[in-house]
Amino acid sequence: MQRYGYALLSGGLFGAGLRLSGMTDTLRVQGFLDLFGTWDPTLAFVMVGAILPMAAAWRVASKLDRSYLNLDLPPATSHRIDRNLIVGSLLFGMGWALAGLCPGPALASISFGGNNGVLFLLAMLGGMVVAPVLRARLDRAALADTTAIYDNLSDTDAPINPDTLTDSPRNKMDIRALTPTYAVSPQIEPSDLAAIKAAGYTTVIDNRPDAEIPPHLHTEVMKAAAEAEGLTFIANPVIGGALTQENLRAQAAALAEATGPVFAYCASGNRCSVVWALMNAGQASTDELINTPAKFGYNLEHLRGQIDALAAEAEADRI
Amino acid sequence: MLDWFWGLAGGLMIGSAGSVFLLYNGRVMGASGIIGGLVDGTGWSNWAERLVFLVGLVGVPYLLWLVIGGETHLTTNWFVIMLAGLLVGIGVRLAGGCTSGHGVCGISRLSLRSIVATLIYVLAGGLTIALLRHLLGVI
Repeated sequence: MQRYGYALLSGGLFGAGLRLSGMTDTLRVQGFLDLFGTWDPTLAFVMVGAILPMAAAWRVASKLDRSYLNLDLPPATSHRIDRNLIVGSLLFGMGWALAGLCPGPALASISFGGNNGVLFLLAMLGGMVVAPVLRARLDRAALADTTAIYDNLSDTDAPINPDTLTDSPRNKMDIRALTPTYAVSPQIEPSDLAAIKAAGYTTVIDNRPDAEIPPHLHTEVMKAAAEAEGLTFIANPVIGGALTQENLRAQAAALAEATGPVFAYCASGNRCSVVWALMNAGQASTDELINTPAKFGYNLEHLRGQIDALAAEAEADRI
Repeated sequence: MLDWFWGLAGGLMIGSAGSVFLLYNGRVMGASGIIGGLVDGTGWSNWAERLVFLVGLVGVPYLLWLVIGGETHLTTNWFVIMLAGLLVGIGVRLAGGCTSGHGVCGISRLSLRSIVATLIYVLAGGLTIALLRHLLGVI
């Protein structure tokens, strides 16, 4: 496939450039960093030479929807300066100076760098294995592990004892569109589905486990009614006690596969909003993810730290 | 001395390599991200593209070495090598990029993250050399 041809070309050009510019010579790199010895400016010339065509390429890419091979282009740049970026860059700079090697030249010189070059590469790969563990530890205070997410669910969506469920009358259905493609709502009834369909929605997500729903509104009943209307119905029960990463993935997958706007319901619409905010962490600003549900009465302010942490995770490799 | 010429010429090749990877493959050419994703599993979904890139990155300098030779002048001190490798491996994955990712691809799109990262690692590298070479005389 063409894709692999261009990857080979790119890797080969990169390797040739590193070798010919002298960047596979560790003394040159250390010489650039050695401001108090005989300073070697070569690396600065390499950077300028590399950045010029690359800046032009970014300008071209900014006018494209897809790459020339019809592949996704990289996501928009991130301006988040976090602790990982600072600590990581400090450690990298120290190691880079110690040996005079960074990942590109370490790989480019592996065929002629002898056993010591191999030793460096192995140590570097070891560091790359350790890094995610370390990153998780650094982030743990704020990281959204499953228990932490649950602890922050609001009381209105706490599990309900099925024995106390009644068929109380309720107000008219209320579609709360957080975005043009995603709406949340309190529990609906089969008779509401025609209106949901008429409003343009193509997929309905049920975020309640059956244990908290009266039998006539159980998932199977709703699924049959929705499919009779020609709607796609997806059960993604967010169980009181365990909102999981899997819930977030399932909701995101349902949205990705939907052919039109998606309508999600739970007891109050709160859980659907929480799932939406957490799964979009990093895609939209944390303020937006909190302020949008707030317009409909869902207060997610207490999730700010977790949305930030998930956003940081999502952005870890973004340039 | 033609050092600056070869630096500029080699740099242009590196920037062209990054341009090809961006405009055709739609990806940021960062050495640490390409290999790091293979190592920790986050990049297994497109492993073949990464592997082919690495074949070029390792293979072409090997062919050049057959013709014009080459020497890395890497220290022979095992402790320094292993410490440096570990610091580089951990550092680039925490920071989400290295000299090619943040330094070349990030700066060229004016990413604040990349500009800050590059300033920090160049400064940290300069201080490390100053301290270990000139004050302590270790490397």
